[in-house]
Amino acid sequence: MARLSIRGLHKFYGKFEALKGIDLDIAEGEFCVFVGPSGCGKSTLLRTIAGLEDVDDGAIDIDGEVVNTLRPRDRNIAMVFQNYALYPYLTVFENIAFGLRARKTPDTQVRERVGRAAEMLGITALLDRTPRQLSGGQRQRVAIGRAVVRDARLFLFDEPLSNLDAQLRDGMRAEIKRLHQEIGKTTIYVTHDQIEAMTLADRIVLMRDGLIEQQGAPLDLFERPATRFVASFLGSPQMNFMPCRLERRDGAATIVFADGRTLAFGAERSADLSAHEGRDLVIGIRPEHMSRALPDRPPAAGAAPISVLVDLVQPTGTRTYAQFRIGEVEVTVELPAHIVEHPGTTIDLLVDMTRVVLIDPKTDKVLSNGTGETG
Amino acid sequence: MRADKGTGLALRYVAAVAVTIVFLFPIYWLASISFKTPDEIFASPPAWWPEQIQFANYAVLFKDGDVVTIWNSLVIASVSTVCAMLLGTMCAYSIARFRTGGNLFSDWIISNRMIPPIVIVFPVFLLYVRLGWVDTYIGLIVLYTAFNLPYVIWMMRGYIQDIPLELEESALVDGCTRWQVFWKVVLPMARGGLFATAVFTFVFAWNEFIFALVLTRSEVTTFPVQVTHYFGGQSNFWAKIAAMSMLGTVPIFIAVALLQRFLVRGISLGAVKG
Amino acid sequence: MVSGGGGSAVALAPGRLADRNFKYYMIFPAVLVILLIGLFPVIYTLIISFQNLTMMDEDTSFHGLMHYRALFEDARFWESLLHTFIFVAVALPAELLLGLAMAYLFLERLPGRQIFVALLVLPVVTSPIIAGATWRLLFDNQFGPINQILGWFAGEPVPIIWLVDPNFVYPAILIAEIWQWTPFMFLLLLAALSNVDKSQTEAAELDGASFLRTFRLIVLPAIWPVMAIAVLIRALDLFRLFDVVWALTRGGPGTSTETISIYAYVAGFQQFETSYTAAMAFVVIVILAVSITLVLRRLEIDR
Repeated sequence: MARLSIRGLHKFYGKFEALKGIDLDIAEGEFCVFVGPSGCGKSTLLRTIAGLEDVDDGAIDIDGEVVNTLRPRDRNIAMVFQNYALYPYLTVFENIAFGLRARKTPDTQVRERVGRAAEMLGITALLDRTPRQLSGGQRQRVAIGRAVVRDARLFLFDEPLSNLDAQLRDGMRAEIKRLHQEIGKTTIYVTHDQIEAMTLADRIVLMRDGLIEQQGAPLDLFERPATRFVASFLGSPQMNFMPCRLERRDGAATIVFADGRTLAFGAERSADLSAHEGRDLVIGIRPEHMSRALPDRPPAAGAAPISVLVDLVQPTGTRTYAQFRIGEVEVTVELPAHIVEHPGTTIDLLVDMTRVVLIDPKTDKVLSNGTGETG
Repeated sequence: MRADKGTGLALRYVAAVAVTIVFLFPIYWLASISFKTPDEIFASPPAWWPEQIQFANYAVLFKDGDVVTIWNSLVIASVSTVCAMLLGTMCAYSIARFRTGGNLFSDWIISNRMIPPIVIVFPVFLLYVRLGWVDTYIGLIVLYTAFNLPYVIWMMRGYIQDIPLELEESALVDGCTRWQVFWKVVLPMARGGLFATAVFTFVFAWNEFIFALVLTRSEVTTFPVQVTHYFGGQSNFWAKIAAMSMLGTVPIFIAVALLQRFLVRGISLGAVKG
Repeated sequence: MVSGGGGSAVALAPGRLADRNFKYYMIFPAVLVILLIGLFPVIYTLIISFQNLTMMDEDTSFHGLMHYRALFEDARFWESLLHTFIFVAVALPAELLLGLAMAYLFLERLPGRQIFVALLVLPVVTSPIIAGATWRLLFDNQFGPINQILGWFAGEPVPIIWLVDPNFVYPAILIAEIWQWTPFMFLLLLAALSNVDKSQTEAAELDGASFLRTFRLIVLPAIWPVMAIAVLIRALDLFRLFDVVWALTRGGPGTSTETISIYAYVAGFQQFETSYTAAMAFVVIVILAVSITLVLRRLEIDR
């Protein structure tokens, strides 16, 4: 187990700056996920930690020791690769044992540890086969076996599930999480998939253009994004963003859209927002934070009504997504499965104003996060 | 339409057979002479096939000790192939994975393959005279190793580039040194390419003539040189020419038959990956 | 505990250094050996060519361009260059066109194609000197089968003395050369043609394009990279042509089929004109270097 501490890390490929100054601390036993769009530097960061890429500036510190100049083999790290990196000319047993053999582990110990790792992953029956004879999911297990069999202080995963089909991915994701709970080793996991990030992480490090955009516990990032980028990256379907104006009407802070429609805040948030009144802003509303207005029940506190013309309906089985327009922007709302309207009908929605996000359109920084909690 | 297609195929088939016969006939003729009696060899009009397969022509080569030239060829080609493969694959790995020396270095390597042998052998002969390497195994082995290295490097570079980099990175993280990665991952992964390249390297050395002609006298004469020794102007050495040629050619045919999959890539210097 | 971090860094530094130099260790032995054929001959040849060495005379004093001047006035040298050029100019297009035709013959589905291809490759892997020896037997005017077969077509005995008659010695050498290397072109072009996108050629045929037009506009650009390399390899081989000619005629009759390689061999190892041969060898290197550079530059522009 290990603590990891990174300070001022820079990495160049020629003139291209892949990492522009990363500062990061990962605690012992933590499951940390690097997530972000492709090209954001998350894999590069992982590879510098593994020692597969040299660092141009800054320090990587594991357990108080700067490892910048250590070779990968001297860092005592285990890594699972995207394409499994299994050796086709070795059996599953020898693949798992590869790292132990490279470190000249005695044969009896190799046998015992490979056996234990195989058992943990449920691949004992496959040990005599070659990788070619395995399915994608089985290969992935072997790849993970290669990592867990070693007594490494740090586990690195580089998009390990991206080559699996959707169903297998869900299963393996759960398994990786269970494995981490059992072993409790410090783990860094790279993915571009926000659902993987949300479900696996103790802490998400959301990266963009070689910098850390925001880091924290998954729900923290989800509920209190610091920037428009974070708000849009997490959550599916994406958060809706609409240009608007914040004004005071009837004593309440009120969102005014270009077409004149309005959404009024409750008293509690109204007070906090007084500083931004009169400004052009962007409002962010998650699809699940809008609901049908029920005629026989009064709206909850902080909910604002709005009438919309549905122009597209997409049922998924569990939920139904309906789309409508506010000005130029196509807005998605998530509704229960059986409330299905035909396109062209007008419905009344309630927007949970305690959870909407207000963003400064010039800086894309979030000015005001919701106060409610998801759940 | 269908009948048309059938006729087309039949015509192409006839043409294919005809072409193949034309190209194989010289080899057939060589083989048939090696089994013929002197009367059959010197028959006019020629005898199109030997009445019976007899090995007298080969037996003579063994009795006179001429087959030692096959042994010489075997030693020189084998040892130089092993050396060229080892040094060449190491160099190829460095170029493929670390771009050592850049494009200029790679171009220089392959350009050495293009120098005419006569231009190489002339100064090398003068050097060998001083070293006392003329007519020795070591002399030819070193020269063949050098001459085949560009080919090995060029080919192995391509085969190594086909290996997923992840396999090597995984080994590095797992605790291998660079050298261990080379032995435990790169070489096993490139087995097919290694084998094919080694066979071609062997064939080049085995078939080579000018270097052997210049640098051998009597001790380490290779079989191609031996064949030319039979060109005495007197036709009665035909049987020996044919039999010795067969001894030197059949093993090559067998070796090449084993690597059909790598054939085109091997002879095109990697230009076609087949 | 100050020494903790620093100590380990020092202990590991040599390992790290070894890692950084690993790539140079890996190329070093190969480069050393290649210098024997790559750099040493060029330099040594150049040095000798300015001296006046023969088998008898160890005259290492500087003689300037004497041998180059002599070479320039040596008709036999120019003729050997001309002979070499004739072999390249005839054999190269012949091999290319024949190989292309054969590739088209085997391009589409044909039962047993694998076996045909495996058999057709045999001439390529035969030792050129053995190929020459074989054709020497085939061309024999009395006991060889060639004259016999030609006689069947002519309807009367054909008495061509292939390797002596000046009218037939070139065709004889060229036939042997083309026999051996056409399959090389065939194999490479077959592989290249197989990789041509079939939907493109079919679309062109549907549009009513003729075979030649389809070939020029679609097939040729697609196979060009492979064809260029095949031609380059063969051109370089033909330029140094030695084995087949040596086996068939040794440059004869007289010096009428002497290539540059054969003349250099004769001058160096039979007449022992050491410095003169060195000058010749150096001129060959220069010719090669210049033409390769020109060809490569030309290919680069096309790309």
